[in-house]
Amino acid sequence: MFISIKNVCFSYPNTEKPALDQFSMDIEKGEVISILGRSGSGKSTILRLLAGLEKPTKGSLTIQDEVVFDTRTFLQPEKRGIGMVFQDYALFPHMTVSENILFGLFQMKKAEKKKRLQEVLELVELQEFEKRYPHQLSGGQQQRVAIARAIAPNPHLILLDEPFSNLDAELQVKIRKDLREILKKANITSIFVTHDENDAHALADRIVKLKDGCIDLIGRPCDLLGVHPNLTSPVIPAIEERELVSV
Amino acid sequence: MNRRLTNVNMWTVSAAIIMILLFLPNLTIVTGIFTPANENWAHMKEFVLGSFIKTSLILISATALLTIMIGLSLAWLIAQYQFPLRGFLKWALVLPLSIPPFIGAYTYHGIVNYTGVIQTTLRDRFGIELNPSFFDIMNLPGAVFIYTMFLYPYVYTITRIFLSQQSASLIESARMLGKGPWRTFIQVVIPISRVSIIGGASLVVLEVLNDYGVVKYYGIQTFTTAIFQTWFGLGDIESSIKLAASLMGFVILILMIEKLLRGRRQYSYSTTKVRPLPLIQLKGWKATVVTGYGLFILSLGFFIPIAQLIDWMILTYGKIPMGEFLTYVKNSVTVAGISASVIILFALIVGNFSRLVHGRIVKLLPKLTILGYSIPGAVIAVAVVTAFIALDRFLSPIYQLIGLSTTLVLSVSLIMLISAYIIRFFAIGYNSIESGYDKIGTDFRDASRLLGVGLTKTFFKVDVPMLKGAIVSGFVIVFIDILKEIPLTLILRPFNFDTLSTKAFQYASDEKIMEASQASLLIVGISAFAIVVFYKFLEKEQN
Repeated sequence: MFISIKNVCFSYPNTEKPALDQFSMDIEKGEVISILGRSGSGKSTILRLLAGLEKPTKGSLTIQDEVVFDTRTFLQPEKRGIGMVFQDYALFPHMTVSENILFGLFQMKKAEKKKRLQEVLELVELQEFEKRYPHQLSGGQQQRVAIARAIAPNPHLILLDEPFSNLDAELQVKIRKDLREILKKANITSIFVTHDENDAHALADRIVKLKDGCIDLIGRPCDLLGVHPNLTSPVIPAIEERELVSV
Repeated sequence: MNRRLTNVNMWTVSAAIIMILLFLPNLTIVTGIFTPANENWAHMKEFVLGSFIKTSLILISATALLTIMIGLSLAWLIAQYQFPLRGFLKWALVLPLSIPPFIGAYTYHGIVNYTGVIQTTLRDRFGIELNPSFFDIMNLPGAVFIYTMFLYPYVYTITRIFLSQQSASLIESARMLGKGPWRTFIQVVIPISRVSIIGGASLVVLEVLNDYGVVKYYGIQTFTTAIFQTWFGLGDIESSIKLAASLMGFVILILMIEKLLRGRRQYSYSTTKVRPLPLIQLKGWKATVVTGYGLFILSLGFFIPIAQLIDWMILTYGKIPMGEFLTYVKNSVTVAGISASVIILFALIVGNFSRLVHGRIVKLLPKLTILGYSIPGAVIAVAVVTAFIALDRFLSPIYQLIGLSTTLVLSVSLIMLISAYIIRFFAIGYNSIESGYDKIGTDFRDASRLLGVGLTKTFFKVDVPMLKGAIVSGFVIVFIDILKEIPLTLILRPFNFDTLSTKAFQYASDEKIMEASQASLLIVGISAFAIVVFYKFLEKEQN
C-alpha cells in the first residue's frame, strides 16, 4: 500500500472534541483522493497530519513503506517528500514565479533545475509568466503556480487544501479539468480536500466523506452518486462525467 | 535527531536562554523584598513611602485624565471631520512625542521664569511686572502640564487609528436613530474606543512612573527620585531594592486595574465589510475653532519649545566644542544602535519560537519577558546592577587567572548598560516583530518546509524578507526610545561616558539650560524624523 493511515486521533489544543477519531484508510499509488466534508469535519486536519504540520495524538502514518509517524517516530515536514497546495496558495510574495518554483529544487544541479523549471511551467502553461510576481497574476494563474511549485521537486504525494475556494465559478470548472489532467500526466498520488461535491466528483478516483472526524462514506464517485441526496448528476458537466466513468 | 519525537531544536534552546536572561534580573528585585530591613527602610516606610504613593497617584491620575481629554478629542475630530489643515495636523499632532518630557520641562521653565521670554517681554515692552510665583511651573501641576503636552500623542495615535478603522454604519446608525454629534460621541464613540483609550492612557501612566528627568528637575519626590537618592545619596542599595520592589508592586496593581477596566469589552464586527467613516465638512466658525484647537495643542507640545530651543542654540552656538559634541552623538548612536539590533534579533528568535510551539503556557512565556517595559528604568537599573555584581563575583577567579587586578569588570562596562536597555525595551521590539509574524501567518513557512527547506533556512529565505517592515519599524521605535532614555543611562553608564540625553540633562540640572539646547535639538530632530517616517510607513501598511 502506498499510504497507510492507521487509527489516527488528533485534537487541537484547548478543545475537548477530537478533530479526528480513529481515522484509518489506505491509498494506492497514483490515486486521486477527494476528502469531502463540512467545515470543522476534520478534512484539512488529515492533510496537515500527513504533511507533518501537526502531530497525531495516536495512531501511525506510513508513506511508501516508510513510517513517518508512530509512538517513537516523527519525520519533520521537510523530510517527507510531500508537496502541498495551500488554500490561499502561499506563494512567496517577494519571489517571482520562477523563483517560487525553484525554491524547492535546491538539491538539483543548475542545468537540472533549469530543465525542471521549464517542464513544470509547460505543464501548467505558464511559460510566459516566469518573471512575474504573484500579485501580477490572476487567481487561476496563481493557483497553477502553486501546483507547479508543489510538483516541481517530484514529491511522492501532493496535498491540495480547498484548491478552488478562491476562484470564481467559471474558472473553477476549467481549472479542475486542467488540474486532473496535470495530476494524471505527472502520475502523482494526490489528496485534496473540498466542501464542494461537484469538485470531488470531477476530480477524484475515490471520495471520502467525513463527519465529525470519522469516515461517513467512502467509494468511487459513481458508486456514491445515488447514496447521498445532494450528489446528483445534472450538476456535473457532461464532459467531466465521461471522465469519471473511465476511472 | 529529526526522526525522534521531540520539540527541542536550536530555536527552542536559543529562545529559552534569551527569556531566562531577560527575566532573571527582575527576580533579584522580588527576592529583595524578603531580605531583612535596615534603619533607612524603616524610616522611609514610616515617613515618606506614603507621600511617594500619594504624589505618584496624583501625577498619574491627573496626567491620564488630561491626556485622554486631549488625545481623544483630537482623534475624534481628525477621524470624523474635514477642516483646514486637517491633513497636516493628522500626522503633526504626533510630533510632541519626539520631545523627551525632561527637555520639555526645562524648556518651559526657561520660557516662563523671571528671565524668560514671557516675563521679560511683559516687563520691557509693556511695563507689566507680575508676581513671579504666578509663573512658577516647577511644581506638581507644572509636571502634569509637561507630561500631558508631551505624552498625549500615545492616546491620540492609538485612538485615531482605531476610530479611522471604524465602520461608518455604526456612526450613521446612531445619527439615523436621532442622536446628534455630541450624543453619538458620548454614547457610541467613547464606549467602542474604550480599549484603545485605556491602552493609550496606560502607556502614559507607565511613562510617568518611569520618568526621572521631569520630577528631578522640578523637585518633586516620587518613587524614581527616591530610588536614586537612597542609592546614591545614602549609598543604601538594599533600601533602594525595597523601594524598587514597592514601585514594581504599584505598577502591577495599575496593570491589574487596566485589565479590569478593559474587562471583556473587546468589541468586534459581525461583518468583514467595514466601510470607513466619510468625513463631515466643517465650515465657518466651527472649522476655525477646530483648526485653532489643533494648532494650539501642537504649538504647546511642539512649536513653542522648539522655537525656544532654536533661540538658545543660536545664542550658545560655538560654546560647546564640536569634538566633544560629536563624541556624545557617536556614543548615543552606538549604544542605541547596538541595543536596538540585539533586541530585534532576540525578538525574531523568541517570536519564531512562540509560533512554532503549541500550548497556552509555553506561549505565555514570551509575554512574561515583555514585563520589562512596564517596570520603570530605575527598578531595572537596580536589578541589572545587582545581577552584574553577582556575575562579576562569580567570574572573579577567571579575572585573576587572566591577570586582571580588579574584581569589577562587567559591572563597570557598557555591556551592563546595553543589557539593561535590552531588558527595558525588549517589549517594544517584540510587539512589532510579533505583529509582523501574525500578519504573515504560518502558511508560507509551512509551504517552504514542505518544499524540503529546514526551519533555519526557511527563517532566512522566507520569514526575514517578509518581516522587513516589522523589523525596520521595530528597530526605529526602539532606537528612538533609547536615544531619549534617562534613568537607566544615568545610573548604569560607565565612568566618563555621556550620551546626548545625559549631557542635555546634566546641562539643564546645572542651570545651563541654553547649553542643553544643542543636544536636545539633535535628539528631537532625530526622533521627529524617525517618528514621521514610521508614521507614514504605518499608514502605508494599513492602506
